[in-house]
Amino acid sequence: MAQEHCVIIGNGPAANQAALTLRENSSDTRITIVGQEPFPHYRPHLLPEYIAGRLSQDDLCVNPPAFYKECGIKVRLGQRVVHVDFNKRELVLDHKEVISFGGLIIACGGKQRIPEHLQVFDDLMLTLKTPADAAQWIEQLSQVDSVLIVGGDLTSLSLTKALLSLEKRVIFMLNEDSFWPVPLCNELSEKIKHMLTERGVEVIKAGRIKRVTRVSDRSLEVETDNKTLRVGILGAFFGMTPNVKFLARSGLDIERGVLVDEYLQTRFDLVYAAGDCAQVYHPTIKDYWVSIGYQNAINLGKVAGLNLLGGMLSVDASPESIFFIDGIIVNTSWWTEF
Amino acid sequence: MKNKDRYPPDNSISSKKTTNNVVYSTDPADFFYVGVNIPCQNACPAYTNVPEYIRCLYERSYDRSYQLNRIVNLLPGVLGRICSRPCENKCRHGEPELGKPVGICHIKRSAADGKDPDQSYTEYLFPPQGKTVCVVGAGPAGLAAAHDLSSIGFAVTIMEALDEPGGMLRYGIPEFRLPREILKSEISSALRIGVTLKTGIKVGTDVSVQNLLDDYDAVLIATGCYVPRPLAIPGEDLAGIHSGIKFVMQVASGSPPRLGRSVVVIGAGFTAFDCARLALRLEAEESAICIRATEQDLRVTKDEILEAKREGVKVKALLLPQRIIGNEKVEGVEFVRTRPGEVLPNGRRRVVPIEGSEFVLPCDSVIVAIGQGSEPIASPGEKDERGVLIGDRITYRSSVPNLYVTGDFMTGPTTVIECIAGGRRVAEKIAEDLTGKKFREWAVRTEEATTTDRERSWDFIPRREMPTITPIENRFNSIETEVELGFESEEGIKESQRCYLCYLHYEIDITSCIYCRYCIDVAPRDCIKMVNEVITNEAGAITGLVETSNWREVNAVVIDNSRCIRCGECIKVCPVDCISVSKVELVERTLQGRRN
Repeated sequence: MAQEHCVIIGNGPAANQAALTLRENSSDTRITIVGQEPFPHYRPHLLPEYIAGRLSQDDLCVNPPAFYKECGIKVRLGQRVVHVDFNKRELVLDHKEVISFGGLIIACGGKQRIPEHLQVFDDLMLTLKTPADAAQWIEQLSQVDSVLIVGGDLTSLSLTKALLSLEKRVIFMLNEDSFWPVPLCNELSEKIKHMLTERGVEVIKAGRIKRVTRVSDRSLEVETDNKTLRVGILGAFFGMTPNVKFLARSGLDIERGVLVDEYLQTRFDLVYAAGDCAQVYHPTIKDYWVSIGYQNAINLGKVAGLNLLGGMLSVDASPESIFFIDGIIVNTSWWTEF
Repeated sequence: MKNKDRYPPDNSISSKKTTNNVVYSTDPADFFYVGVNIPCQNACPAYTNVPEYIRCLYERSYDRSYQLNRIVNLLPGVLGRICSRPCENKCRHGEPELGKPVGICHIKRSAADGKDPDQSYTEYLFPPQGKTVCVVGAGPAGLAAAHDLSSIGFAVTIMEALDEPGGMLRYGIPEFRLPREILKSEISSALRIGVTLKTGIKVGTDVSVQNLLDDYDAVLIATGCYVPRPLAIPGEDLAGIHSGIKFVMQVASGSPPRLGRSVVVIGAGFTAFDCARLALRLEAEESAICIRATEQDLRVTKDEILEAKREGVKVKALLLPQRIIGNEKVEGVEFVRTRPGEVLPNGRRRVVPIEGSEFVLPCDSVIVAIGQGSEPIASPGEKDERGVLIGDRITYRSSVPNLYVTGDFMTGPTTVIECIAGGRRVAEKIAEDLTGKKFREWAVRTEEATTTDRERSWDFIPRREMPTITPIENRFNSIETEVELGFESEEGIKESQRCYLCYLHYEIDITSCIYCRYCIDVAPRDCIKMVNEVITNEAGAITGLVETSNWREVNAVVIDNSRCIRCGECIKVCPVDCISVSKVELVERTLQGRRN
């Protein structure tokens, strides 16, 4: 394996950790990272601060550009993998270039999830996962005064703080069923509501969104089953879903993410998956789960890198922090629950 | 002369009248070519001429587009809504770096929506043959067989056990996917050429097969599959458990059962999705489809999955039911989680239960939609272990002379388009057996063509999604409300522009080629190849190209039509005009009752 070309699809924490692990343990392996986004590896949790203007884009970056050159890791950014042929051990990029690989780590992460019933309004909603998303927020915020946030997750709470610092009116539609990754119990719901209200956020309770209409360049009308709101931006925060559509016809086992065993290996030899796109069966909860969070992604990236080099490390079978947040079991099937 | 104008002898309808030379071939090499290079037509069990009907739609010839469909698939308005779309799975536009497949099915519906409602149909009618045929069952297979037999000149009677014709189309597909007036109208047009329909007669009970054999020159059994397959797990006899097909039929007949608040549907096909979506239109508030493998293994269309989820149906994957829990009434289902295994030769995925992963999913009702079998009919002839009459898959004959079988009754549950194709094939076989004549045959029709006038930019038009009723809540106002609205005409045209028109064949004349390689330079993908050797099979069809990058070994520059996206760029740059285009189609040719 050491002499082979190891390709890593993705440029997030799992992908970068996998690349570094490969390099640390095999100095002569040829390593290539193929990332869909044009940005170098960044810290997504800092995006709200970037939107608020307190950080520059450089502050988001994890490593300086020279770092990868020093490590002997080739990074190809803004290049999307559209297909993987596991028999030929080749992947195809969207500009039709074919890249051969000996070993492959799929760490393409997740993408912002929009529930099926809201997908028709996709182009009227903003999400926040990437610097490109942040740029859209910055552009639109310069023209509007109010933001409606639906769904809800930790990013949306950070963003709310950033929006308040920019003196925007923030309306938060809190829905127990669609908060991510935990379904809200009454206690937690009240806690979040209290915290938001204290900071000046209008917290409303509404059911499903029925219609979203653009009424002007700076205004959207959002109709729910019990009220109609007029806001400048509609922000959707419904969590993440594994970004593996391009692998659907590759022969890999895909459920929501790429199904892997406890060693993160797929059904193909020397092909592993790690991070937000990998799905592992967990005996404690009797269900498949996807790693949630930056640190878990790093851990999985390390395991995948070591195992690709011949190791037999299994992923932690009882990472309680994944399953319990404030005493609530994380709903591991969050993407189908609403 | 008038008849010839009205009924073209090859049953095909050109999008443009042409005086170019036309050649017909039944050479196996040409059929092989079509199989490889026109993937959509080859994937259609009825061999619908997809590129040509899409081209007609682009030219706003809705009537001709509809008619091209109707020649082979009889019910375009129906299929434009509910076809399983094997063509789209093979569409070249869906290849990895080329985007999404063309919305072939939605374009078919556009043709049906846009055609003149008073359009007169133009099937070729043969003179009477003096023979009678009884078709048992008025589902898609029976209707297709009856229509074709009637057009060949037989006196055909359909006997249908239910009150109305259509079979599964009428009773097994909910109205929100298939409006009944569309179905009625297309069935009427199929029967209008002289087929006698008798409903409410259950063959085997009200009249025996032997009596029919005595009264008719041939009898065709096409009664479909209506016997639900059981799960065969403990607790299946509890109250609150319904079979999928019976549930849909009860709703279609206006007497739906009580479901309660929470419904679990077990199954992975269209019927399972229909049940889950219907449940939400009845009293259920939660509806979940539980499947043994993954969503990728589902055999329903992506649109079906999306629309079901938008309506609130949850798809729970990698679950195998172990037993149904409850005292007198169902209270839940115990599942075990599974790991996906390899894909078996029958296309299904093997799953491996995970030991110790059992859990109970509470629910008020369970709908089991894991397939159906044929209902045995009292008749002479060789039967299988369940007592169902056996038919030969090629000749459609049973072991009894003049007794034939087709459709799902013979094969087990398939799709509507497969049933229609089966119905048409058995009609041809019956006609041949009763008269010793062949009436139609498939041939490869080749016609000179000008280069495609498609624009390269059309390759980048995003697939148009079918508009549906929104807000979603409005779908539940009535169980009859059709969810898909159909394309506005301009959207249909836009989608039709995306088709590469794979029936166009591009070829380099190597006697004129000067090996300048300009064509290779402009090709958008590796479709033009420098070749050392062309590999052919016994029939003379090209099966492979041995490429070389060594200039000394190049014997020809060849267009690989299985990779070509018919953009026409090569023709534009060729300095010696050595690239020609022809239109190659698989068509059904009328033989005027030629004796074998």
